[in-house]
Amino acid sequence: MTKDRSRSRRRVKVKTPGGRVVIRLERRKPKQARCARCGKPLHGVPRELPSKMKNLPKTKKRPERPYGGYLCSECMREVIKQMAVEKFSKDLEK
Amino acid sequence: MVTLEVGRVCVKIAGREAGRYAVVIKKIDENFVLVTGPKVLTGVKRRRCNVEHLQPTPYKLQIKEDANDKEVLKAYEKAGLLTKLGLKKPSPEKIKEEKKSEKKAEKKPATKEKKTTKEEKPKSKKKG
Repeated sequence: MTKDRSRSRRRVKVKTPGGRVVIRLERRKPKQARCARCGKPLHGVPRELPSKMKNLPKTKKRPERPYGGYLCSECMREVIKQMAVEKFSKDLEK
Repeated sequence: MVTLEVGRVCVKIAGREAGRYAVVIKKIDENFVLVTGPKVLTGVKRRRCNVEHLQPTPYKLQIKEDANDKEVLKAYEKAGLLTKLGLKKPSPEKIKEEKKSEKKAEKKPATKEKKTTKEEKPKSKKKG
């Protein structure tokens, strides 16, 4: 099966209880989720294969915050603060 | 500069309720402030909140210190802020619902104790 020879599947050496070393083929995991604004790795977002992610409940896939799983907490704070300041800037001049 | 004092309406910029409105009820110390939405109106519970997590708005409500949520709601209406901030006035049934959920919250801690005692029993059996 040529699929095994493809390098997209990682070779992992595993020691079996019988003392033999076996090569196990494991799928490569997707990259760490990154913040859309500053590129820092996101907390609360697991690094799982899509097939595994599918079974996870929604709350396990991203933090329960506005922009959770999209922006990191610092960027979210700045964005929301920016929105609040803009929204009330015209009222301030009144 | 718009300072943060009792009655000041502000936007919460951190945590689950980020982006929602909250009214300052009481100053706890220079870093912390007691804040409420009220929950029925903006979904922000009456809670202690760090001053850093609040962005003040130019609006202020006339409420006395440590006012309860009902007074804050009335102050909102009096100040005519509901339309300006685009907040829907909660219908009376919603306020009743709130009362029920608060009562339920008080009952919940009582049931928690029962659960923990059960866990201890099975553990001891395994060891024996």
